[in-house]
Amino acid sequence: MIEVKNLTFSYGKDKQVLHGLDFTVEDGEIFGFLGPNGSGKSTTQKILTGILKGHGGKVSLFGKDIATAHTQDFFQKTGVLFEFPYLYSNLNAVDNLKYFSSFYPTEQLRDIEELLEVLEFKRDFLRKPVSSYSKGMRQRVSMARVLISNPKLLFLDEPTSGLDPSGAVLFRKIIEEERRKGTTVFLTTHNMLDADLLCDRVAFVTNGNIAALDTPKKLKEKNSRRRVKICYLYQDKREEKTIEAPELEAGIPFPHDEIISIHSEEPTLEDMFIQYTGRGLS
Amino acid sequence: MWKNFISLFKKDCQMMIAGKFFLLAAGSLLLYTLFINFGYIKFMKAELYHVYLYDPQGTQPQASDLIYPVISLEELDQVLATDTTGIGIDASSGTPNIILYFGSEKVDRHRADYARSLLYPDNGYTAKTVGVNTPELKQRKEITCELLFIEIVAVGFLGIASALFKEKQMGVIRVHAILPLKKSLFILSKIIIFLFADLIFAALMTVFNIGVADTIHILPAVLVQTAILSLIMALVGFGCTMLLNDFKQFSLAYLVIAIFAATPVFLAANTSIKMAWIGWHPFYQIYMGLKNAYFGTPVTDPVYYICFACGIAVLFIMIQIAFRKEMGKEG
Repeated sequence: MIEVKNLTFSYGKDKQVLHGLDFTVEDGEIFGFLGPNGSGKSTTQKILTGILKGHGGKVSLFGKDIATAHTQDFFQKTGVLFEFPYLYSNLNAVDNLKYFSSFYPTEQLRDIEELLEVLEFKRDFLRKPVSSYSKGMRQRVSMARVLISNPKLLFLDEPTSGLDPSGAVLFRKIIEEERRKGTTVFLTTHNMLDADLLCDRVAFVTNGNIAALDTPKKLKEKNSRRRVKICYLYQDKREEKTIEAPELEAGIPFPHDEIISIHSEEPTLEDMFIQYTGRGLS
Repeated sequence: MWKNFISLFKKDCQMMIAGKFFLLAAGSLLLYTLFINFGYIKFMKAELYHVYLYDPQGTQPQASDLIYPVISLEELDQVLATDTTGIGIDASSGTPNIILYFGSEKVDRHRADYARSLLYPDNGYTAKTVGVNTPELKQRKEITCELLFIEIVAVGFLGIASALFKEKQMGVIRVHAILPLKKSLFILSKIIIFLFADLIFAALMTVFNIGVADTIHILPAVLVQTAILSLIMALVGFGCTMLLNDFKQFSLAYLVIAIFAATPVFLAANTSIKMAWIGWHPFYQIYMGLKNAYFGTPVTDPVYYICFACGIAVLFIMIQIAFRKEMGKEG
């Protein structure tokens, strides 16, 4: 679906932000593009969506070179969710969606009210102007704008931003549903939980380079210290011990009366992010 | 493409209605019409200077009815002390002597001549009248042309900015970057709305203030000049909105345009001030084009139209570049 080879980009003469990115995104895959602020995530997404021109390297989308890919047909097959919910604040949700969907072929469109119901949008607000919506509601309308045209390729920038935990769960469910339909998703986020739960593969981007690219599971395993922390009771005393994982093969290698919990010391995706990018989440 | 254009056009109309732009334009039209019909024309018809005559022996039988007779020299002194631009005529000796407070040499001569002309209204007025316009129609055309020019330069320019800054603040311009539509349609839709609004405004303004019968002959030429000015102002307004951060900065840019662009045009076109370079000023050319259209002598030189068509095309290309930059900006 997306093939990027040696992608470079500079803002002006001296400000190079991408230093030769290489990655591919397969059809129907959810690909996480993770990196700290200023790492080049948004620039990459803008190049892929045709907003920024003048890059170096080779990029192809839907099997076509990017120079010829950004046609009306490309935009009909693509949906882009921006980091902020950009909507006409004087119009209501339905009018916003009617307007944005009017640029797509009618046979491609989903029903507006049905879609808003899937996104658990409050019906009372359907005819109220967007200026009266909370951030979560605006994000739902923005997501509806993206999904209304049944895109084959989705670019999602911080999709769960501004949502409460149940909203975030709903959005993850919807994104997974899209994958089941065969939609390819290019996900840009700071939210490591989203990336861990949703992505088939993730790329850590730092200073315009890809520092690591693999499945979240493999990334964690590769960097695991293969230790387990065991919490147990022995002679009425609660104790904790960390041992090397292979030691467990022959059973618990120390005296105990009762095992309370065994916790693998596997690193989180956030730990990996910090390790590869050298920077925390911000 | 048409479907996309209609969607954009419909949304732009909604935005303009929500922003009360059409209401503002209708308000301006009403205000200008009231001013022309009940203020300006009456003011222009008013007597320039009052003329007072002291003629105890009745030696000036031809004196116009516009002259106010006084019964004594004391009274003449008194009225001139109150009405300092007035002109007194003392004909007590049989020969009329002009009395007035000193102003400036040129104006004083004019005032004295005016007083004499009222004293002998049927004597020696041999100036040849050119053109078919009555003095009132001429005044109506002049003021309508000036107000229309101001309206398009000011309100049209600010109108497009206020509509676009709203869209810029809402961030929706960026959404259009990823919609399946030709990006130039976004610009075109806005420009066309303002063009239509300005053309309707120009037609109504001309009909209301010049009259239907006189409008019919001049309207096509007036609309052509209005279209040129409207397109230029809308494109410049669009470009400034893309380049400037907020409406405050835009207002400053507008002041610069108003002071340095429009003021010399009005001075050169409506006063005797001579500026050798003014012929190179595009606004002066359009203003004179509009004025000539109102007076039934439209510009026929193709160079004029070619120059403005090229200017509009160059502005459109520059604005497309600025628009693409705006779409690529960070949130």
